[in-house]
Amino acid sequence: MMKRLLAATGLISLCLMSGASAAEISMWVRSGIGDSFKKVVEAYNASHDDKVTMTEVPFSELVQKYATAIAGGQAPDALSMDLIYTPAFAAAGQLEDLTDWAKSLPYFNSLSPSHVKLGTYQDHIYGLPLSVETSVFAWNKDLYKKAGLDPDKAPATWDEITSNAEKIRALGGDTYGFYFSGGGCGGCMIFTFTPLTWGAGADILSADGKKATLDTPQMRKAVDIYRNMVKKDLVPAGAASDTGANFLSISNGKIGQQSIGAFSIGTLITQYPDIHFGVTLIPSVDGKTSSFAGGDNFVISKGTKKLDAVKKFLEYTYSLDGQKIMAKYGSLPTRGDIADQVLQGLDPRMQVGLKAISIAKTPYTLQFNDLINSANGPWAGFTNAAIFGDNVDSAFSNAQSEMQSIIDNAQQ
Amino acid sequence: MAGPEAIGALRRRKRRRHAGWHGFLYIAPAMALVLVFFVLPVLFTGWMSLHNWPLLGNPRWIGFGNYTRMVSDVRFMAALRFTAYYTVIVTIVIFAVAFPLALYVEKQRRLVGFYRTIIFLPVVVGLATASLLWVWLVNVDSGFFVPAAQALGLIDRRPNLLADFDTAFATIVVMVVWKIAGFTMIILLTGLQAIPSELTEAARIDGARRWQRFRFLTLPLMRRTIALALIISITGSVLAFDQFYIMTSGGPQNQMISVVYYIFNQSFVSFNLGYGAALSIALLVILVLISIVQLWLLRVGEDRP
Repeated sequence: MMKRLLAATGLISLCLMSGASAAEISMWVRSGIGDSFKKVVEAYNASHDDKVTMTEVPFSELVQKYATAIAGGQAPDALSMDLIYTPAFAAAGQLEDLTDWAKSLPYFNSLSPSHVKLGTYQDHIYGLPLSVETSVFAWNKDLYKKAGLDPDKAPATWDEITSNAEKIRALGGDTYGFYFSGGGCGGCMIFTFTPLTWGAGADILSADGKKATLDTPQMRKAVDIYRNMVKKDLVPAGAASDTGANFLSISNGKIGQQSIGAFSIGTLITQYPDIHFGVTLIPSVDGKTSSFAGGDNFVISKGTKKLDAVKKFLEYTYSLDGQKIMAKYGSLPTRGDIADQVLQGLDPRMQVGLKAISIAKTPYTLQFNDLINSANGPWAGFTNAAIFGDNVDSAFSNAQSEMQSIIDNAQQ
Repeated sequence: MAGPEAIGALRRRKRRRHAGWHGFLYIAPAMALVLVFFVLPVLFTGWMSLHNWPLLGNPRWIGFGNYTRMVSDVRFMAALRFTAYYTVIVTIVIFAVAFPLALYVEKQRRLVGFYRTIIFLPVVVGLATASLLWVWLVNVDSGFFVPAAQALGLIDRRPNLLADFDTAFATIVVMVVWKIAGFTMIILLTGLQAIPSELTEAARIDGARRWQRFRFLTLPLMRRTIALALIISITGSVLAFDQFYIMTSGGPQNQMISVVYYIFNQSFVSFNLGYGAALSIALLVILVLISIVQLWLLRVGEDRP
């Protein structure tokens, strides 16, 4: 049914496309990408002969729809997708190899390193960064003030964050010191929680993605920090069942501190002007900082007849004009070499998100969905069980073995 | 010369010869629908189940590999156990609620139409909508029940009902019963109303008490209706998905993953369509077996040859 539906919509868009002389590029983006990319497309269409037709696909259905579109011969020319999927798509042989062209770009070496790493599969480049998201730490300045804390002093350690949370919680009522979506949102927790261990040098997967390395002293420490805050009632009870719907809880004005995405900086500024907040890098368990590099990679479907037109469009998004439009609507600069120019005149808090790019990490694995993003995967199960459950040790051992077995099964 | 009788016989013979034809024509549209929307998809699913069939990339024939994998798949077994547990509990609770309700609204009394309507009302709400509604109702911070209970002084700390297995399970059962019991009630009600009043009248005259009339008259005559309601309830519960997906995402800690949810995960989270297909075939077999047993139980002891 889905296939037929897709084929039908594909056919319709095909009919719409024919008849134009300049290239018409069909491109899918995941929904929720925000205004930044839409505005670039608008600007490009207005100033160039080639036209980009953008289709938003719900984030959770993008992979399924793309797969069925390929099967039906109706794949779009290009795709903007969560960077973590690039290795899996490349491994499936569905993407154009962009290695030579990418390396010929004069700014290639200043593109977001984590995106390029995720865009690389077996030494070939299949994906390039489109939008960059990093995770950062935010605090509510009004609540800091009310709790007698210095609203302009960014916390640098988790001891500090915890004691600040206690003071904010002491304001009573519905005011809490800290928040995280811990119920079953693997994507949320990898984004906000793993930097606690990354900064301290540990990781949940080995560098080649073939070993689960969950059980480290750093991770135990990180779990303790969160557990402790839950036990002390510094976190709203809803966190334990939040599957990501309340990810931006700090926007309700009753949360003192929270790790958020750099994209939320723009959202908070434009949609919640009453929230006065500060932004800093997420401290790890030992005080060093880290961040998750999220966002989208740009990939091109194998066999598209519009390869050159698509490349031209991507070069436009990398130009100073393109980058400025993206940044104006909340996306961080993809190119490090012109980042300062791009962010000129914009909210200074965006700089923190930018600083995070150079230290940010992204796990490299073909099983990202299975291991980490899925609400039922070992990572989501682990964070929930370890932070809210009764038995931390078994949470560690269960998740460790489940992760390893998923990895091993996939190697066969 | 052919008399009227002979013509009549000829016509009858013709009709008989055409009877099979006509009958086939009548059912042909239905057969086509079943063929296109049931038989072919099942055959295709069976074909898929014999492959390693990734969502992206090319399928590879692996014979019965998916089926052998299933046997040692602990997560599938856990999903089976949970689904069985859920089915038993939900079916019992629905009956325990719907039967008394049906008996209550069967008699003509004041406001009976009103009662029937409000009990049936949740049935018309979609299951996904109902799940979302209840997620809000039981939400610890912004919902209705928990803050209301606290305001009334029934509890002093707000519990997060969806964060603990027992309370989350109970919440889902209550939601499902609220949503489904009206439907079961209507089925049982039609059964009750089909019992001829002469029979109950006669039993009353013979001196049977209310409980005796229920036990020896109503229940046996309701047998088929009860079986129908049971089959619908059990089949629905075995296929349960929406409520777990929406209300808890299978949590807390993956303790509420039903079989269909697991199939969904394998197919569209792990992108492993072949294994998902094999699991679907297994579930189909299980459902057929359950239905056979139920129909068999229905016939046992029935006063028919």
